[in-house]
Amino acid sequence: MAVLPIHYPKEILTALDILAVEMWGPPGPPRGAAAGRIQSYVCAVVRNALAFLASGGAEVVDGVLFPHTCDSLQGLATQATDLGGWGKAAFVFQHPRGGERASARRFALEELRSLARELEAWTGRSLSPELLAAAIRLHDEIDGCRASLLDGRARLPIGDPELYALLRRGEWLWPEEHLAELRSAVGRLGPEPAQTGLPLLVTGYVPEPMSLLATLNDAGAFVAADDYAAVGRRVVRRNGVADADPWADLISRYLAHPPCPTRGTDLAVRMRHLVSLAEASGALGVLVHVQKFCEPELFDVPAILAAFTARGLPVLVLEGELERSLSGQAETRVEAFVELLRARGRAA
Amino acid sequence: MLRRIQYELSGHLVGPALLRAKEWRRRRSRRGRAPKAGPFGPPLESTRKLKELMSLHYLQGRFADGAVPVAWVTSGFPVELLRPLGFFTLYPENHAAMCGVARTVPELSDAAEKVGYSRDLCSYARTDLGCVATGKTPAGRLPKPDLLACCTNICQTVLYWYKALAQRFGVPLVVIDTPFVYGEAKPHHVAYVREQLEELVSVAERVSGRRVDPQELVEVTARAKEGSRLWGECLATARSRPAPWTGFDGFFHMAPIVALRGSEACNAYYRLLLGELKDRVARGIGGIREERHRLLWDNLPMWFAVRELSTLLAEEGFNFVCTSYTNAWAEAGVRVDPADPYGSIARAYTHIILNQDLTNRLGILRRLARDYACDGAVLHSDRSCKPYSIGQVDLKERLGEELGIRVLLLEADHNDPRAWAAEPGANRIAAFMESFA
Repeated sequence: MAVLPIHYPKEILTALDILAVEMWGPPGPPRGAAAGRIQSYVCAVVRNALAFLASGGAEVVDGVLFPHTCDSLQGLATQATDLGGWGKAAFVFQHPRGGERASARRFALEELRSLARELEAWTGRSLSPELLAAAIRLHDEIDGCRASLLDGRARLPIGDPELYALLRRGEWLWPEEHLAELRSAVGRLGPEPAQTGLPLLVTGYVPEPMSLLATLNDAGAFVAADDYAAVGRRVVRRNGVADADPWADLISRYLAHPPCPTRGTDLAVRMRHLVSLAEASGALGVLVHVQKFCEPELFDVPAILAAFTARGLPVLVLEGELERSLSGQAETRVEAFVELLRARGRAA
Repeated sequence: MLRRIQYELSGHLVGPALLRAKEWRRRRSRRGRAPKAGPFGPPLESTRKLKELMSLHYLQGRFADGAVPVAWVTSGFPVELLRPLGFFTLYPENHAAMCGVARTVPELSDAAEKVGYSRDLCSYARTDLGCVATGKTPAGRLPKPDLLACCTNICQTVLYWYKALAQRFGVPLVVIDTPFVYGEAKPHHVAYVREQLEELVSVAERVSGRRVDPQELVEVTARAKEGSRLWGECLATARSRPAPWTGFDGFFHMAPIVALRGSEACNAYYRLLLGELKDRVARGIGGIREERHRLLWDNLPMWFAVRELSTLLAEEGFNFVCTSYTNAWAEAGVRVDPADPYGSIARAYTHIILNQDLTNRLGILRRLARDYACDGAVLHSDRSCKPYSIGQVDLKERLGEELGIRVLLLEADHNDPRAWAAEPGANRIAAFMESFA
């Protein structure tokens, strides 16, 4: 099943033996003429997705899941299914927004159960509590490994391109296969720092183009703390005992996600989270890597600027559009930013 | 106490007197002048009352904070629940449109951009955040909010925007999160919205220090329903040929149903307007002098260019007789039922046009075009309103094919003139009009 960004109950898909293949665009120029069916002032993820679906790019999958992440993805969900572009099975997932409330918890549960019923009918498989509980355990373990890699980033002796290629394979691999390679990577975490570059906090939507990471490493910096919607914001850190009722447990897992603007997180809560990420990782600068026209991310930029400027941490805002590779201007800005940080470090 | 006295005086004594004096001066200065010749019909007499009503609202708003509880609310928010608690309600979208008409948006947006807001964000939001940052407003002064209330039925943008306001003002933010509707809302979607309404009331009661009187809520709900009905009747008069007013008139006359919904002042105004429109229909007076073509407008207006656009079109005999935007305010209210305020408000506010799928939207456009006998349509592709604009490229094709009408997709912005290429835009409209020859 193809899945659009960002948050969705992967545990249910796993329990029903459905392979999720995430569609973050796909990156690069639009594949097919249907991109023109959405105006150029809408984000490239949505334009590319419609072009990809309408041109048959996703013919290998049997269905698509559209999470209602933002206005544009919500619009895509109705445009592709009502006005043409996707004729196979389509599902939507609507998550509650506006903070944790009793109503939100109940709605999330109803929405999850409703989606599960639709998927059961579609696959002809039954979702037992045992299957769901096992899927939750599996994803808890995957997230545990991902958290270890991200939190212990400085002690991992690989470059950012390699690390992110590994983490992002989770977007399309079977969870068990992904877990195996994550475990192997966790085994490579050493006791001492292995990264010698300048530590950065990176926040944004999705690390595309991936060449940004190589540019960062080449300039002498590395991602010490991650707040990408595609990566860090989907890593659940749970230390408590799992709820005996798997549905209640699924809700707890959902609510334990890090703050994300697409879920309506309060700004102060999100800023506290980002500051704590920066402090824990010893980040010396912040890279805000946003997709052009991405409203949920763009609205938070002033608060991020204010929060880190007040703490004396330089911030670079870099805007992109799912390009195939980073532009020369963007590379220069990244290099200049890292040089600035290095000069500040020397002066200190 | 002093603040309350100022508030009451501005609303009931000083304000009306000032406005009457202003109107007297205006009439005096125009005495003896011949009415301007132009493509439009005689101006609506009700417009003076509209200006008075809205001016009074904003004038009273200057003294509202400290006198009564103040809520800043989104246009699609179920305001019926705040009225019984005595809130003065300010609509940042309505205020931003005022700034658009006054052409102050570039300056205000610059102020917002200076602190990091991207120019790609909604221009209403940028206008409002710029006003908050600079304190500049054509209304003189805006009251500080005690409560921020947003509903995601018009877009999710309002959630991000109001979060920023909440951080700025340090006051409670209540969010009514309305799940998107495919066909009809699922029962658990309506139940979720209803439960949030109850959560909202609990917060609003705490902020206002009052309890919702159930009887008063029934009365407000009945007035809101009646207001929507009256507004719908006003719009429906444009089915006559010639239409007694223009769709662009409607953009301005919708202000009370947006900002004063649920109040007697709102309904009294629409009774007045409806009477005048019916009279014009009876006497064959049109919104434009020579109506040759009837058009449908989709999406918000371009507030900064309403006059220019309407003149350009009216000169060639084109009249916008209906708009999907103004129609939305007539359709939402009919679902409200005073006998079941919470349940019906939950259903009504979930079924707003922008919170429903494109099949529904196409149905509405098709129906409007037929009911108002339109032979063309302009779909405003609005950079600042993605939920309204996504799908329009397909809707243009469908409307043209199914109804055999000419359809123009016009890219602009509802509030930021910097996103409107005036001359190429005018050329496109001219070419569109020529295609009717």
